[in-house]
Amino acid sequence: MLFNTIQFFIFLAVVLALFYGSPKAVRKYILLVASYFFYGSWNPKFILLLLTLTVIDYTAGIWIERTPPGRRRKLLLICSLSANLGFLGIFKYYNFLASNVALLLGRPPNSFWFDIVLPLGISFHTFQSMSYVVDVYRGEQAAIRNPTDYALFICFFPQLVAGPIVRARDFFRDLLHWQPPTGADVSEGMFQVVLGLTKKMAFADQFAKVANEYFGHMAAHPGMVPAWTGVLAFTMQIYFDFSGYTDMAIGMAKLLGFHFPINFRRPYLAGSITEFWHRWHISLSTWLRDYLYVSLGGNRHGRWNTYRNLMLTMLLGGLWHGASWNFMIWGGYHGALLAVERAIRGNSRNSERWNWFFPLRWALTLALVMVGWVFFRAADLHQSLAILGQMFSRPSGRTLFERWQTGLIIGSLVLAILEEKLDWFERLMKAPVWAYASAMALMLFCLEVFGVIDARIPFIYFQF
Amino acid sequence: MPAPRSGSQRRAIVRVLLACLLGCLGAFGLDALLFRTKMYPQLLEPDSSTGQFELTLRREKKAQSYYGDNLVVTLGDSRFGYLPRLADELTPRSGYVFRHAGMPGTDVRAWYYMLRDLDPTARRYRAVVFAVNDYMDEDWGIPEDDPRLLHYVIARLRLSDIPNFYRSFQDPALQWEAFRGSILKGLVYQTDILAFLANPMKRIRYVRLCNEGWATWTWNYVDTTRNMVGLQIDWKAWKATMPPGADQNQRDTVKNFLMYPPIARQTGHTAQFRRFWFGRIIDRYRGSPTKIIFLRLARGPIPRPDNLVHKTTSSIRELARRPNVLLVPEHAFDSLEHPELYKDAMHLNREGTERFSRMLVEEITRLLGTPQPREAAR
Repeated sequence: MLFNTIQFFIFLAVVLALFYGSPKAVRKYILLVASYFFYGSWNPKFILLLLTLTVIDYTAGIWIERTPPGRRRKLLLICSLSANLGFLGIFKYYNFLASNVALLLGRPPNSFWFDIVLPLGISFHTFQSMSYVVDVYRGEQAAIRNPTDYALFICFFPQLVAGPIVRARDFFRDLLHWQPPTGADVSEGMFQVVLGLTKKMAFADQFAKVANEYFGHMAAHPGMVPAWTGVLAFTMQIYFDFSGYTDMAIGMAKLLGFHFPINFRRPYLAGSITEFWHRWHISLSTWLRDYLYVSLGGNRHGRWNTYRNLMLTMLLGGLWHGASWNFMIWGGYHGALLAVERAIRGNSRNSERWNWFFPLRWALTLALVMVGWVFFRAADLHQSLAILGQMFSRPSGRTLFERWQTGLIIGSLVLAILEEKLDWFERLMKAPVWAYASAMALMLFCLEVFGVIDARIPFIYFQF
Repeated sequence: MPAPRSGSQRRAIVRVLLACLLGCLGAFGLDALLFRTKMYPQLLEPDSSTGQFELTLRREKKAQSYYGDNLVVTLGDSRFGYLPRLADELTPRSGYVFRHAGMPGTDVRAWYYMLRDLDPTARRYRAVVFAVNDYMDEDWGIPEDDPRLLHYVIARLRLSDIPNFYRSFQDPALQWEAFRGSILKGLVYQTDILAFLANPMKRIRYVRLCNEGWATWTWNYVDTTRNMVGLQIDWKAWKATMPPGADQNQRDTVKNFLMYPPIARQTGHTAQFRRFWFGRIIDRYRGSPTKIIFLRLARGPIPRPDNLVHKTTSSIRELARRPNVLLVPEHAFDSLEHPELYKDAMHLNREGTERFSRMLVEEITRLLGTPQPREAAR
């Protein structure tokens, strides 16, 4: 059940009706059942996996809290993390490791493969679950006693499949002290759902057509210009796809009285890679910072250790996306860029100020990010290198964009700059009814005219 | 304990819901402004299904103003291969001017919407002639589930058409597509809009060219001389011998039009469909001087044997019992059923078309009689 289907909106309407039509005491049970139904609609077998992880971390949280600081407490943490990483490893990385071992032994890559289906959203819910256990271990979060509450934290349907990765303290603040959504919540929630849907269907899916054409039939589009436009198409696709999903998730949560942190803050307006990671998939980058980078020592042990920690964090961040060398290279590439920036900048704070040099910094950052996306999207290393070869060859070939697609890019850039400078989104939320309604009408019309309606292109991050 | 929702909060939520409702209405209004007026339909790609339909409608509306009162309009699909140019060579003798508003790939639903806008008073024509493949009703698949039909008629659909139109499809997916497309026409026009936005000036120039030339191009159309000589079908062995050098289209039409497997269980589905849609057309012309005429087209280069399917009903003959509805004798065009007069298994070739055009005029004139002067009610 994808977010961009009529079935999902029927499901959402039923959930909202049942949720608000029921006594407060049963509402969380309704959300729990709805969330398991939502997850089970893909593959009911994986509900068992979800339940297993839930039981493990729920129990671990209570035990860790009861155990005084020391080796035993640490052992409990390690057991819990091992269980999570073990499941993740088996489902996500086993075949990757097995094929590499097979290659090392000179055997065919599939010699030791298992027929494994990747459970939907496993990377997201295991990270969310692990963060809870670590927070309890660090004493930053009280262990949750009510199993229903904990189960809902893990499987809450708006963010179950592709995030944002919500911290336990944020989720339980809303769940345990639930307040009905305010007018502003409903206003923002509705707007974000429609905005997210428009981003996904009218923008991401249209750019997906160009990106899929280029990456699927690269040989048919030789030259530098097709290479850059093909990669730019994917650059647009992945942003609109993922931020569209996140907007919908955040919007739906708001309609149910939950407040998730933002996940994207106009990342393609960043003036440096560091800033890009402050704006892109914020819930993952802060997770990696808080639970990996800081645990590795962060920037506390000198320059070289800081660079090493940045590299390691981003390498693992890359691997989190998928079991392939391309994701590792993508992560390592970003880690290296962060380290280089750190070396140039030193310990001074990254500046986000706009000045006359900003367009140059912005263009360079965007180009570097686009080079990274080649590894993210290409089928394998061979194709990545071929595309990079085309991107940095002599100018030749024709753009893959139609004029209206170029218009969409320029239009979205203008909207992003206006939001950055004028906070139009926030202003719109407080604007008179006619302004809000006009914006809604424009988005719905955009969805009608540009939306890819029947192709049902899945969200990119559903595969992670 | 959660705080109860205050009155102002409730008002704020109602305000948001109202704004959302207004947003939906606004989107519908934008759609209506662009696609339910002439604004966008006049820019449609002329080679698209909708574009062709609209060009045909505009051409025939224009023709009404300079061809006088004795107009006969014909409607059918691509098998209705006659040329008005040849038919009208006989006008001095017949007294009637023949105009063709049919289109390849259309069915009676498209003809209904075409006629409704072509003849809003239901009195403009002396006769409306429909060409059908058979007076008897035969179920063969679900021919009305053709997604192209939505595209043909989309510019003509009104909100009041939605229930009958979407229910005319059998497949639930198509019903849904037709339903939402009839409400929000931008969904159906989407491909056309994106193509337009890719190069607006080129489109505008082409539309202008087609608006000027379409009537002449279609009037001067000349068909191919290719034929099906050599085609033989052994119905007992269910085997066809193709004409020497037959191309893929000729082979496909033999397979799909002449030698399609008969459906043993006749459900009356086709009869129901024809009764409803032809019935609606005839209802529109109730009390009008316009005659409704049905004719059965020649069945192909080699007719399919009648005994393959046990046909029990004839919705067309039932409809012909109503006042002002006439039938051309069923076998009037049987003399055209020869391989040398067909370019494939479905369509007449140049010689077939020429013969058919003249025969058609004779048959229609015979049914209508010599035109009497009348007050043109436009």
